[in-house]
Amino acid sequence: MTDTALARIQGGISPGALFQVFMGVALVGIGGGLPAHARRALVARGWMTDEEFAEVFTLAQLTPGPNAVNLAAMVGVRLSGKTGAVLAVAGILLPGLLTMLAASWVTLGLRDGLPDWLQSALHGAACAAIGVLLTAAIPVVKVGLGIRGGWLIALLTWLALGVLRLDLLPVLLILLGVGLLIHHPRKPEGKPL
Amino acid sequence: MSSPDLLGAMFAEFARLGLVSFGGANLAEMERVLVLQRHWISPQVLANGFALGQVMPGPNLLAVTHYGYAIAGWSGAAVATAAFYGPTAFLSALVAALWYRNRRHPWAVALRNSLLPFGAGVMLASLLVLWRSSVHHWVGAVLATLAFALLWKTRVNAALVIAAAALIGAVIGL
Repeated sequence: MTDTALARIQGGISPGALFQVFMGVALVGIGGGLPAHARRALVARGWMTDEEFAEVFTLAQLTPGPNAVNLAAMVGVRLSGKTGAVLAVAGILLPGLLTMLAASWVTLGLRDGLPDWLQSALHGAACAAIGVLLTAAIPVVKVGLGIRGGWLIALLTWLALGVLRLDLLPVLLILLGVGLLIHHPRKPEGKPL
Repeated sequence: MSSPDLLGAMFAEFARLGLVSFGGANLAEMERVLVLQRHWISPQVLANGFALGQVMPGPNLLAVTHYGYAIAGWSGAAVATAAFYGPTAFLSALVAALWYRNRRHPWAVALRNSLLPFGAGVMLASLLVLWRSSVHHWVGAVLATLAFALLWKTRVNAALVIAAAALIGAVIGL
């Protein structure tokens, strides 16, 4: 992809500006959808093109860890170097961190545990959270199943981790090995992404 | 309670949990380590923290802050959060810098094709675990289904859906 947007603003984005933008993304992203909000904020400012964003988003899904925070780190380092990465991550974490600390202090500090109505409310919220997780999972699953042999790897992963509750790391290493056997490059030049 | 030994063990576990989350919430591994293996939190705290994370601004997995607080108070929350997000963010920035130099390399493509289905399986395993820990009653199943249908078919804010489900839960005593 072209780096037009990047060239246009080369050197023009301060780490502080990234901090502000990602804090804004976190604040409008209550209930999820952070990547969508980040995309809007970055493209609207002309800091990235849609193509550049799609690539960094895919990349953020490939690295381990929470996608939205990885995305912030990657966009940060791309647009504003090491300091940019640190401040983008700080920005996306800060609002939620403060509110979560307050919520934890209240809910876990109660001497007799949660009152029944609050536990019931959280129970209801947890059930709805399954719906949120499912909407986030569908695009990931679609992409995974679209890859040759993907359904087999996905099914084995699900069985090993969800049903059999095995330790993730050995499962990852074995299935990554199987994946690389299926997909290892045959020609030196390979296929462009 | 929050001895240096405990905080050190927490740092190691939460860093590992962050580094082995692919494609989003890896609740399956969190439950295995934090609830079943270490007995640091109860299944109830696991489910509550995940639900709270949904209504906070920012990443949903801020549940780790809640778990850290449940295990060892303020210092536990700080350690869990820093350990969970720090190493993966560092790794991501490193990968991004390397990727932009080597993204057309055949092995980079092979790695991508191997990791994406794994991420799909992890998401499906997390769904199974959250379902088991949260849905004990048919009303819960209905709430989960309704929430999904609303979010998938409309543009309604997820925080609103969660809040509505919380209200329903409180009223009917789920």
